Amino acid sequence: MTLITHEGRPVDVAPGETVLEALLRAGVNAPHSCRAGNCQSCMHRAIDGAPPPESQSGLTDAQKVMGYFLPCICRPTTPLTISRPDDLGASFEAVVRAIDPLSDDIIRLRVEADGFAYRPGQFIELSAGEGLKRHYSLASHPEEDPFLEMHIRLHQEGRMSRHLAEKLQAGDKVHVAGPSGSCFYEGVDADQPMLLIGAGTGLAPIYGVLRDAFRKGHRGPIRLYHGARSRKGLYLSEELQALSNSRENFDYRPCAFDPTAPHGGDVAATALEVEQSVSDAAIFLCGGENLVKRLKRDLFMRGASLKNIRSDAFTPARA
Amino acid sequence: MSSLYDRLGGEGAVNAAVELFYRKVLADGRIAHFFDGVDMEAQIAKQKAFLTMAFGGPNNYTGADMRNAHKRLVERGLNDSHVDAVIENLNYTLRDLGVPETEVKEVADLANSVRDDVLNR
Repeated sequence: MTLITHEGRPVDVAPGETVLEALLRAGVNAPHSCRAGNCQSCMHRAIDGAPPPESQSGLTDAQKVMGYFLPCICRPTTPLTISRPDDLGASFEAVVRAIDPLSDDIIRLRVEADGFAYRPGQFIELSAGEGLKRHYSLASHPEEDPFLEMHIRLHQEGRMSRHLAEKLQAGDKVHVAGPSGSCFYEGVDADQPMLLIGAGTGLAPIYGVLRDAFRKGHRGPIRLYHGARSRKGLYLSEELQALSNSRENFDYRPCAFDPTAPHGGDVAATALEVEQSVSDAAIFLCGGENLVKRLKRDLFMRGASLKNIRSDAFTPARA
Repeated sequence: MSSLYDRLGGEGAVNAAVELFYRKVLADGRIAHFFDGVDMEAQIAKQKAFLTMAFGGPNNYTGADMRNAHKRLVERGLNDSHVDAVIENLNYTLRDLGVPETEVKEVADLANSVRDDVLNR
């Protein structure tokens, strides 16, 4: 008998039984379909303990590193604590270190959260008060920065935006939960071409991934496209241009909306025109939902493997 | 005589076919609209499960699973012509990969065997 803990509740797994069978037997309404490790409908995440490698068959390297596994083909021999794939788990206290402008409507928030483990490019849930929770991607690097860095667009009517702009100050306490998201440098070959496309504050995870790629000695060519609504939105452009000048394998392509520019400065159209050969590339896409969906589909249709496309689509806050 | 799944090359064959097949489906105006707005990663896993079944590989699908999975699509108008289109794309995929006609036919027959469950009738 092996013990698993599912959302705080102990469930026994009988010898030879799968985790899915045990969950269903225990009355857990666990989603599932093929029961053969293919359709991934039942995917869960082990937040403590290591799932058997065969229960991670067909998952991406990023998912494996994060402990994702398929309960329908998982016969554990050691205890596991598991959660639904979108559960961010317990939250940790963090302290605001600095809030600085990056452009006229984008700020950089840095918070200190001791011992918070993550990969650059993943996202967290930031909680800054009762009912005030948002997901933000991380531009920082855990081995280089003693803080978590987020890039946040300020919306005039946004509750979090107003709180950040008018109330929150260095020294204030907030909470962070996670991390989550598979948009990070994992399963990439050091010689593979990398294609990074970020729109707006979608640059945050892209910037995190870029720094991680450099730190891990990536040798293949890296092209980074950043899209913005105006030139002012092309934040970090000086840093990125300097990197582009000093690194032979890195090319920075800023795209700001401009009726006189090719494709009107649209980042997706610009990148799709240049990137004709993508079947070998490791691709990272971050930005609004429509942009990410369009790029993912178009890049897949022209030969990119879905396994090589990591993406993070931002959805607007509900309240 | 080895099983159809083994003759086709097992899981490796499914992996080689699945993205090719999904691209053909998304490029097919008759059926592409059923995939508008779906999560592509989740969808390709389901395509892999479907191909594994159609290749005669290990699966534990029940008729009820097939019915539930397609119920909402049937409500949106999924009918025989769409199943025909999917199987046609499957045939083209296998031919692209050099699979002999005998096996192409066997795969099509297996895919056809779940037609009534898929269409909820």
